[in-house]
Amino acid sequence: MPRYIIRRIMYLIPLFFGVLIIVFVASRLAGDPVRLMTVQNPRITPEARDNLTAYYGLDQPLYVQFFLFLSQLFQGNLGNAYAIRGGTAVTTLIGDYAWLTFELQLAALFLSLLIAIPIGIISAKKQYSKLDVTVTTTSLVGTCIPIFYMGIIAIIIFSYILGWFPYGGAHSILPERYPFGSYVLDELWHMALPTAVLTFATLAPIVLLVRSSMLEVLRQDYILAARASGLSERSVIYKHALRNTLIPIVTYVGLYFGAMLAGAPVTETVFNWPGVGRLFVEATTKLDFPVIMGITVFITIMTLIANLVTDITYGYIDPRIRVE
Amino acid sequence: MKRKKSARPKLQVQNEKTRSKGVSQWNIAWRRFKKNRAALVGALIVGFVIFLAVFDALVAPFPPNATPGFYTGETRSPPSLKYLFGTDYIGKDVFSQVVYGARSALFVGFASAAIAMSLAVLVGLISGYYGGIIDNILMRITEIFLVIPFLLILLVFLKVITSISPSGGGLSMVVLMIGLFSWAADARIIRGEVLRVKSSQFIEASKALGASKTRIVFRHVFPNVLHIIIVLTTLMIATAILVEAAISFLGFGDAAAITWGQQLQKANEAVKEAWWEGVFPGLFITLLVLGFSLLGNGLRDALDPRLRE
Repeated sequence: MPRYIIRRIMYLIPLFFGVLIIVFVASRLAGDPVRLMTVQNPRITPEARDNLTAYYGLDQPLYVQFFLFLSQLFQGNLGNAYAIRGGTAVTTLIGDYAWLTFELQLAALFLSLLIAIPIGIISAKKQYSKLDVTVTTTSLVGTCIPIFYMGIIAIIIFSYILGWFPYGGAHSILPERYPFGSYVLDELWHMALPTAVLTFATLAPIVLLVRSSMLEVLRQDYILAARASGLSERSVIYKHALRNTLIPIVTYVGLYFGAMLAGAPVTETVFNWPGVGRLFVEATTKLDFPVIMGITVFITIMTLIANLVTDITYGYIDPRIRVE
Repeated sequence: MKRKKSARPKLQVQNEKTRSKGVSQWNIAWRRFKKNRAALVGALIVGFVIFLAVFDALVAPFPPNATPGFYTGETRSPPSLKYLFGTDYIGKDVFSQVVYGARSALFVGFASAAIAMSLAVLVGLISGYYGGIIDNILMRITEIFLVIPFLLILLVFLKVITSISPSGGGLSMVVLMIGLFSWAADARIIRGEVLRVKSSQFIEASKALGASKTRIVFRHVFPNVLHIIIVLTTLMIATAILVEAAISFLGFGDAAAITWGQQLQKANEAVKEAWWEGVFPGLFITLLVLGFSLLGNGLRDALDPRLRE
């Protein structure tokens, strides 16, 4: 097993650098941040502009810039932001924002798995029943609604009309507004609506996957054998079928987690959630190269770790993989 | 698999007895598709949106980007008989704008899917059929595209486009970018399918008859993976429409184009005062994506030769 893991890691390293090179080159082509910063200053001289360009190291050739970035990266330093939050270190910025992103995504992923797996199983057990048709139709429609649209509708209904939840942000501005004066409760209260929407969006495809995977497993010969040997239906489904049903789910969840992180800009913009996704949108608009690169590094590493964990879990629960 | 193979000759004999000659694979697929109610609903929805896109000027009561409510003080007025879906912040008729959005949505869907699927088919066929070092290189590139944070890279590239030409390439550039970054997963699926077909005996047979590699790829392999390609294309159209909406919503789309995503973005500033501004364009995105998804699922069931009963 350790050899398998090491081989997988070796395999992911070139992928990581591939992504970095593409994003690095693309972001440098995206425009001149110095011009963007100074465009509103009528008294700026060309010399001052050149000084600023040299200060950020943008006068160097592209490959020199890239190697500087890499050498910093290996020291765990992602540089300082140009303008966001007055030029804070990018690692500090990500440290401050990442947790809020994780909190939302992990809560939604966990909740949707918790809800989707039983629903998918019941739906497969009673294939073509009224319940099954309702579940599959709802899930299919659920996969077609853009998540930001779902968010807008939720905000209209639950924030504006009913007034149950705040319409954005992660915290109340004034500590006096905290429910029962608790910071934690305040955050949970703000989290409720985004988590619910993200859960529903994540839930729909997982339900469909669990259902089809379960149906596939129930058609296998060993299930017939289990039934023939007189096992109860409960034991057939939850002991024999469920384990094999979960194999595709594990792969899916691993890959999906990366997609969820990459989709964070949309979710976080709708709910005004101060996470890395919204930070990325801000950085791209302002051409803040260090922040763009920092978040790309962060999200790519997270995606790769999710892939790695998926591979390892996969090898663990499906013995056929290990043998190969 | 083995049982199915032995059952096949029997099926053919039956077919010859009961049907006249010329029942092609496509005839069989069409017959199965007709029976699938969900797929027909999907086809109907897509047909409806195509109708809107073709006859938009006839259906919409006002010309594109007209602001009939601006002069009469009817900005952000709720849905009424005059303005079916209400008006927006400068008095545009939301219903007309939604109708004009149909054409952009279909353009985005079809064009992005065309680009992405051409790449996917090319990579999938070459990688799967030729194998060896070409396969290795192509699959490593595919993997980079698979782990790349999709939306983030799209935003950066769209920024590149607007910086190179300030007027932007418009919607076509958005389409190009979506196409260039969404082929990887489908290329992998097609490659897998090519590998499956490649090991079948009829390929072996035509090799033995001395067919060239190109002939085998285009005459024998391609037609046998075509059904997968059709299904993936339909689903890709749905995804592309969703992605364009998300990009526009974040403010990185083509601001001059009339798209449902753009309308949602502007509406998001005032969901409290004017819910109708965003609710209707969003409804149409959902409807069209649902249409293509149902169509894709229906085609999958109809075209899969392994599902033949």
